[in-house]
Amino acid sequence: MEITAHDADAGFTILRLVGRLNMVTARQLRSSVAEAVAEGRSRLVVDLAQTESMDSSGLGVLINSLKVARQAGGDLRIAAPNEQVKLVLQLTNMERLFHAHPSAEVAYQND
Amino acid sequence: MTDALRRTYVLESPPDDVETVHDLLASLWSEAPQVTNGDRIRFETALIELAANVMTYAVPGGTVECTLLIEVTDVRIIATLTDSGYEADIPLTDGRMPGELQEAGRGLLLMRALVDEIEYTREGDLNRWRIARNLAE
Repeated sequence: MEITAHDADAGFTILRLVGRLNMVTARQLRSSVAEAVAEGRSRLVVDLAQTESMDSSGLGVLINSLKVARQAGGDLRIAAPNEQVKLVLQLTNMERLFHAHPSAEVAYQND
Repeated sequence: MTDALRRTYVLESPPDDVETVHDLLASLWSEAPQVTNGDRIRFETALIELAANVMTYAVPGGTVECTLLIEVTDVRIIATLTDSGYEADIPLTDGRMPGELQEAGRGLLLMRALVDEIEYTREGDLNRWRIARNLAE
């Protein structure tokens, strides 16, 4: 999995996840979120448009990342999950915590 | 009715991991066009949870050897995973999803929600896991 981070004009940071988010790759997300928060960027969007799949380990790190962002005064939102990721969120009752925004660019639009 | 497709894979973890299982399935799906995308997603997600559990807990800190047999027919897909790890002691038939801010404890529950059958047996020094999903008509 590859993660790229870039700051959007509206004052949040987009983390693009390309590949699979699972027990092998989840620590990369943990590191990326820790790095962003340490630099004072705690309003985050995880862009899942190019994320092939997510397992429960990946979901666990997503939850951890949300908590880290919120503890720093920010938030973590998700965008553009595919069918598999949406299914995992649905079956684990996580759709309320992780409302899926249609794209990363609009994730903070209504704030 | 087409003949059943059977594939056997031998894994050793580490170095094999769930990425290896994803890659094996990608190859398998190309030979099983009767399996819809929805069934592929559900079965693969379940098998990854099972494989992750075995690779993490069967031999903590050590190497676990696994044999994975996958059978695909016109009506169902079955995975049988045999591993050399310690005897498993996990609930297969009960349990509730943890609170939403809990980071762990969802894998086996997720797997159960995605397959029609799940079995675990201890056979000598081996664990034998079997999951089956009935294919959409």
